[in-house]
Amino acid sequence: MSLLRIQNMTIQFGGLTAVNQVDLAVERGQIFSVIGPNGAGKTTVFNAVTGVYEPTDGSILIDGRPGMLPVSARTIAGFVFIAAATALGFTIALSVRGLWDSVINANYVYQQDFPWAKAAGDGLRFLCELPWTLNVAPGAAGALVGLAGAVAVWRRARRTPDVVADAGVSRTFQNPRLFHQMTVLENVLVGMDTKLRSRFWHAAFRLPYFFREYREAKAKAMELLAFVELDDDAGAPASSLSYGHQRRLEIARALASGPKLLLLDEPAAGMNPSESNDLMELIRKIRARGVAVMLIEHHMDLVMDVSDRIAVLDYGNKIAEGTPDEIQANPKVRKAYLGTEDA
Amino acid sequence: MPGGIRRSLVLNAGWVLFAVALVIPLIDHALPRDYQIAGDMRRIFVFAILGLGLNVVTGYTGLLNLGVAAFMAIGAYSYAILTCDIYPFRFGFWTALLLTIGVGAIAGAVLGLPTIRLRGDYLAIVTLGFGEITQDSLKNLDTITRGTQGINPLPAPTVFGYALGTQSVLAWYYLLLALLAVVVLFSRNLEHSRVGRSWISIREDEIAATCMGINPVKVKLLAFAMGAAMAGMAGALWAAYLGSTGEPGNFDFQLSIIALCIVIIGGMGNISGVLLGAFVIMGFNSIVLAKLTTLLQQQGWMDTQNVLTVPGNWKYMIFGLALILAMRFKPEGLLPSRQLKAELHEAEEDERGRRTKKARTQ
Repeated sequence: MSLLRIQNMTIQFGGLTAVNQVDLAVERGQIFSVIGPNGAGKTTVFNAVTGVYEPTDGSILIDGRPGMLPVSARTIAGFVFIAAATALGFTIALSVRGLWDSVINANYVYQQDFPWAKAAGDGLRFLCELPWTLNVAPGAAGALVGLAGAVAVWRRARRTPDVVADAGVSRTFQNPRLFHQMTVLENVLVGMDTKLRSRFWHAAFRLPYFFREYREAKAKAMELLAFVELDDDAGAPASSLSYGHQRRLEIARALASGPKLLLLDEPAAGMNPSESNDLMELIRKIRARGVAVMLIEHHMDLVMDVSDRIAVLDYGNKIAEGTPDEIQANPKVRKAYLGTEDA
Repeated sequence: MPGGIRRSLVLNAGWVLFAVALVIPLIDHALPRDYQIAGDMRRIFVFAILGLGLNVVTGYTGLLNLGVAAFMAIGAYSYAILTCDIYPFRFGFWTALLLTIGVGAIAGAVLGLPTIRLRGDYLAIVTLGFGEITQDSLKNLDTITRGTQGINPLPAPTVFGYALGTQSVLAWYYLLLALLAVVVLFSRNLEHSRVGRSWISIREDEIAATCMGINPVKVKLLAFAMGAAMAGMAGALWAAYLGSTGEPGNFDFQLSIIALCIVIIGGMGNISGVLLGAFVIMGFNSIVLAKLTTLLQQQGWMDTQNVLTVPGNWKYMIFGLALILAMRFKPEGLLPSRQLKAELHEAEEDERGRRTKKARTQ
């Protein structure tokens, strides 16, 4: 089973077809490059895989699964709870004065003990004795609104980037999108967030678990920073890093979530030859850690050097796929990059 | 400094303010009665708690909330209903305070659940509307809230065996200061944790944060509920020390704006900044102006016929001027969080760079 399988994927923006019926498969331990002229739809493919865009058609399977939120018992319970709460809310909101009068004012004698059970009974009776337009109707309307809202929201949130990240796919961006106001270390810790289990009360009351988890997370983050050779800058603000280092930090941050597949969007853009050579070395080291890499890159010599397999996109269509040697020999690819001879 | 756990030990403005606040009543004692400020300082503490609540939502998470007054009102009324003896609940101070914090958090979550997916200005409009609706509801639900009368008198709470009446200024002063310190610690602990990092990452770059596996809806909802809980706490304390909720009109848009000014002038996303903001703005609003009025009256320089001689009438002009000056010269606030400052000035430098580049190409 492929690690990532894209089947027959089409993405349209209005009338524009950015990606047209593309099939791709990335295997474990592979460095898979996607190349093509500007505007060929490479980044769009990345955005669809990570859940930033919803494909118009086709399917994306991660490890054979759609990388979506499953319909679990918890989901159903959540829907029921929201529907019930809105139903109750609507009904109470419509008769709040009468309810208060019959529950509190009718039962409370100034500074005397309050008959709680009787008051609760009175409240229930008050709600039941209302005309149906004031109890059944708003209740039903509330349940319907609550249920519809909850289902609609849940459906839209089924395949958002955080769900995909949880399924084991992580990415970097064409222009580094770091959290500039945080330190280098904090950036990596944010990437590690899905692996952390502490809750806000652990942090608020500084419970022992908070410290233990922080120590472990920090050690792991420092290991990742050492991996990308940024451990000396751990305490510096991310915005103070040079462009090349920002790209490395983005890679460390993406690796922090422990992905099975790492998507790198033009990681060598704006780097000098020696920096990009180091980067390719880093990509090989990432593969050696057991993480498959999907790569968009324009530096052809680097792509040919590092890739196990290459797919070529042109105007949203996949025109070729194969090993670097096959791609270099492919006449269609030459045509896409250089134009036809008689043009 | 990595991770910032130890950052708190560094001497910062917050600790200085705390020390000053501890000794103020001692000096205050020696002043003539008309010029004592400890009583009015309590208002600063309550507003600092409110500001810290808003700081979670607006400062850390970057969601503009124009309706904090509503959550403060909900807190004040919940506390009043839970303690006042015209209602059957009659809880003690601590129980009522904890319940009120819970009610605030629930109110925040209820408002947040359907609206938190809105972006930027749209969310601001929703919170603005919520503020107005809350105020009107409190006015009109007179069977429950006693309408424009407000709920009063609230019983003097008994804290550690002492009854804190509205007259026990000093006891209230130290109680509120202690509670403020607790809220400060709570905020700081959250800021330097997984929760705080996820809030700030959402503010910084929502797409990047979600691609790192952070669920933006959960994170924002938690921020919203927590901000509302702190605002509710501020409301409860406000009602408790005044012995009354006051009328619903107290919790109007103006109050939301003052809370926002406290956060912005002080420095968004920085606890010391918010404390300083509360100190400066509420200090000016309820101490400097009030004492100035007393002084002018005693000297006979104030002529009620002449609006220009009444200091209170200058309030909003000075407020507006201060805001404009702050935006022009210190957009990051008096005490910015270290990074925000870097970012704002970076943008400025970019702008300058672009301008010179443009000039060169022309």
